[in-house]
Amino acid sequence: MPAPNAFWNRKTTPLFPFALFGGLSFACCQYLIYCYAPTEAVMGLMQKIFYLHLPLAWWALFSFFVVFLGSVLCLFKRAPRADSLCAAAAEVGVLLSGLALLTGMVWARKSWGVWWTWDPRLTTTLIMWFVYAGYLVLRGLDLPEGRKTRMCAVVGVVAFLDVPLVFISARIWRSIHPAVFTSKEGGLEPEMKLTVMACLLCFGFLWAAVVWLRKRQIDSLAALDRLARTGATAFDATKE
Amino acid sequence: MLRMTLAILRKDVKLTLSRGNGLIQALLLGLLLVFVFSLSQGIGESLSARNAAAVFWLSSAFCQVLVFNQLYALEEVNQSRLGLLLCQRPIQAVWLGKAATGFLMLLLAQCVFLPATIVFLGQNLSGPLRPAFAVLLLTDAGMCALGSLLGALAQGQTTRESLLSIVLFPLLTPLLLAGTGVGAQAFGTADPDGPGAWLGMTCAFDAIFIAAGLLLFPFLYAGDD
Repeated sequence: MPAPNAFWNRKTTPLFPFALFGGLSFACCQYLIYCYAPTEAVMGLMQKIFYLHLPLAWWALFSFFVVFLGSVLCLFKRAPRADSLCAAAAEVGVLLSGLALLTGMVWARKSWGVWWTWDPRLTTTLIMWFVYAGYLVLRGLDLPEGRKTRMCAVVGVVAFLDVPLVFISARIWRSIHPAVFTSKEGGLEPEMKLTVMACLLCFGFLWAAVVWLRKRQIDSLAALDRLARTGATAFDATKE
Repeated sequence: MLRMTLAILRKDVKLTLSRGNGLIQALLLGLLLVFVFSLSQGIGESLSARNAAAVFWLSSAFCQVLVFNQLYALEEVNQSRLGLLLCQRPIQAVWLGKAATGFLMLLLAQCVFLPATIVFLGQNLSGPLRPAFAVLLLTDAGMCALGSLLGALAQGQTTRESLLSIVLFPLLTPLLLAGTGVGAQAFGTADPDGPGAWLGMTCAFDAIFIAAGLLLFPFLYAGDD
C-alpha cells in the first residue's frame, strides 16, 4: 500500500498529470468553443452548450461501463480494489449524466420550446440516471462489507444492461434528439467537429482525475474504518 | 435442477396461497392504485388508453415487489435458507422456482387488475388481443426473472420493500414501456407500428434478464452472512 504522502506524488499516481492536462486543455477548449467554432445560425450562442453536453453524456456512459467492468472483476476475480473503482465511477457517472440531462434541458428549451419531452433518448437517459442513483443508495447501506460488495457488483452488472438501450434508442425509435456523428448529410461543420473532439478529450482527462481522486478517498476511508475497528477491538482486549 | 425448481414452486405456491394474507396484501395494493388513479377522472370521463395501461402495469410492478419479498421471506422467517443451499442441486433452481412462483402469482393478480382497470378506468378491450396477451406473458416473465434475482438481494434488509423498488423499477422500465405500449393498443389506441417492435424488445430484455439471473444468482444467494 502506498504511503499517505504519495497521494500527490506525480511518480506514483496518475492523478496529478490527468488533473493538470485536464485543467489546461479545458482552458484551451474555451478558446475553441467561443472563438474557433462558428456560431450556429439558428440556435446562436446557446448551441455552445452542446460542447459540454456531449462530453458529459459520453463520459457518463463510459463511467457506467467502468462500473460494469469493475463489477465483473469483483464477482469473478474477487478483486477487492475494483469495488472502490466502481463506487467512484458510479458517483462520477451519476454526476455527469445529471449534468448532461440539465444541459440537455436548457438546449431543449431553446430548440424545442419545452424543458422536457418524452423523447426516447431523454427517457432512457433518465431511466439510466435512476438506475445508478438506486445503485448509489445501495452503496450507502450499512451492510457487512463482503455482502455489500457482492450485492453492489450484481446490481452494477444488471444496471449496465440498460445502458446500450440509451445509446441505440434514438436509432430504434423515432427520436427528435439530433444525431451528432452521422454519415448522412447535415452533420457537424469540420470546425465544430474538431472542437467537440477536443472537448471530449479534455473531459477524458478530467474524468480520469476525478475518478482517481474519488477512488483514493474511498480507499482511504475504508482503511480508516478498518483501523478504527481493529483499534477498538485491541482496546477492548486490553480492557479485558 | 428442474425437479428442485418444481419442488420449490409447489412449496411456495402452497405456503403463499394457504396463508391468510398470502397474495391479499399485494392484490389490495394493486387494486388501491387502480382505484386512486380512477379518482383523477371527472364524472363521465375516462382515462386515455395509454394512461390506463400504465396504471395497470404500475399496479403489477408494485404487486410484484410485495410478491417477491414475501417469497424470499418464507425461507428467512423459518431460517431455512441454509437448507436450500445445502441441497445438491444447482442453486439457480431456487431462482427459477421463485421466478416461476412469482410469475403465477403475478398472473393471478393481473386476472383481478385487468377487470379493475376496465371497470374503474373506463376501458374496453377493442384492440388486437393476441399480441397483447403475448406481450403480457413475456413482460411478466422478464419482470419475474429480474424480480427473483433482486428479491434475493433485498432479503434480510429492514427496508427491503423500498430498496427493491428503488433498484428494480428503473431496470424494469423498458419492459413496462413495452407492456404499456401494447396494452394501450389492446385498449383501442391505434399505433401505425403495431405491436411487433415492442414484442421484439420484450423478447430481447427477457433473454438478457434470464441470462443475468442464471449467471448472477449464486453470488447473491449464499450462506456466508
